[in-house]
Amino acid sequence: MDQFFNVSEQLLQGFGENCIIFIVTLLAAIPLGLIISMGSMSKFKPLKWLTKTFVWIIRGTPLMLQLFVVFYVPPLVSNGSVTFARMNAALIAFIINYAAYFSEIFRGGIESVPKGQYEAGQVLGMTKGQIFFKVVLLQVVKKITAPMGNEIITLVKDTSLSSVIAIPEILMRAKDFSMQGLIWPLFYSAVFFLAFCGILTLLFSFIEKKLDYYKG
Amino acid sequence: MKKKKLLSLLLAGAMSASIFVGCGSSATDWDYISNKGELVIGVTYFEPMNYLDADGKLTGFETEFAEAVCKKMGVTPKFQKIDWDSKEVELNSKTIDCIWNGLTIDDDRKSTMDISTPYMENKQVMVAKSDVADKIKSADDLKDKTVVAEKKSAGETVAQTDKFFSSAKYVSVDAQAKALLEVKSGTADVAVIDYVMSIGTLKSGSDYSDLKVVEGKDFSPEQYGIALRKDSPETLKKLNDAIQAVADDGTLEKIAEKYSLQDLLLVKKK
Repeated sequence: MDQFFNVSEQLLQGFGENCIIFIVTLLAAIPLGLIISMGSMSKFKPLKWLTKTFVWIIRGTPLMLQLFVVFYVPPLVSNGSVTFARMNAALIAFIINYAAYFSEIFRGGIESVPKGQYEAGQVLGMTKGQIFFKVVLLQVVKKITAPMGNEIITLVKDTSLSSVIAIPEILMRAKDFSMQGLIWPLFYSAVFFLAFCGILTLLFSFIEKKLDYYKG
Repeated sequence: MKKKKLLSLLLAGAMSASIFVGCGSSATDWDYISNKGELVIGVTYFEPMNYLDADGKLTGFETEFAEAVCKKMGVTPKFQKIDWDSKEVELNSKTIDCIWNGLTIDDDRKSTMDISTPYMENKQVMVAKSDVADKIKSADDLKDKTVVAEKKSAGETVAQTDKFFSSAKYVSVDAQAKALLEVKSGTADVAVIDYVMSIGTLKSGSDYSDLKVVEGKDFSPEQYGIALRKDSPETLKKLNDAIQAVADDGTLEKIAEKYSLQDLLLVKKK
């Protein structure tokens, strides 16, 4: 029994690291993603081209590689004088990666609002800002809830990738137990992910229900 | 495998970049370490070398050995857990200052890193389920058996080149612990792993207690050393002197006895 508590405590501590990455990434990547989506819809061609290239690079390379780049390249090229703390490097890589994915979801949501609604707003004398925040944004939120839910649940599990730059997250700790002759912690760690994703799934179906006001 | 390929690509990129930037500082490696006052030691956790005890405190043979050596060198040890696959990048990017974790000395590693005097001996052993282990006496007993080892490990070399395994099928996995898992779950019959690793994992009360080391047959004795960055002669000398000093005053032997590793020690009292 003692062993079970010891393992649980270790894994829970590890899962704390996963949760930090999850929460900070979510909080920072959503606004950053919105800014990037604005860039990729911009009428100013160089800006549009630049953001599209950025999204292509980030979505086109593995997150694992991005973690390596953020953590190892600065000290390698500066001969050790520029280094990020491991957690900071992980956060930077995750935020940039997820912002790129989010930006495409946002772009899809925003572009799916018919042009006629913008024109109607203009006819009614609304400013661009008013049209976006009072007419378009709420519809966008509704449309992107399902794809965002998907992406956010993927994020929960992706946080484990941070172990490649030696963040002591849950899977790494579970693997350490297997080096001490205990196998079951490796499979037991799934419980933590399942519970967390279960809560998120419930949360998202609740949000979807709340937003389903047209169907009464 | 994929990870390693990515890493080598990345390294190639970073190295070509550092050709342009790298020749900045002229301070030696030892200046860099002694100015910080701490030696960052790259480790992974495995019993009995470095592992967490019941209270979650880092302990083990290498842990105590490193603490004793650092005391002689006049620096504070700081243990940093790393991903073993990335140890060379960690070392070169100065996120760690040495690799001290049962590192086997070989020619590849000697050409890319500075390596201390060998301090401990290790060998490769076969591990199988108890009933199978008792029956393995000669190469014929391995006919149609599946042998598993960690990719790029000394165990793999043994399993692929030693005549003893010529009639067995070979499978590689990415970690020694996985090799044991394969044997435990029955997907492989025999694992070739480090003797030192088998001490910690096969102890009674562990999930692997139904496995055992095949007695009377071991392979390719090898030696453990501590890896430093390439071309750091001053650090290497300080380290080797400190290792000898710890051996001379009897500390090393005492630590080794605590973890039943005294028979494997290579550094003796002068």
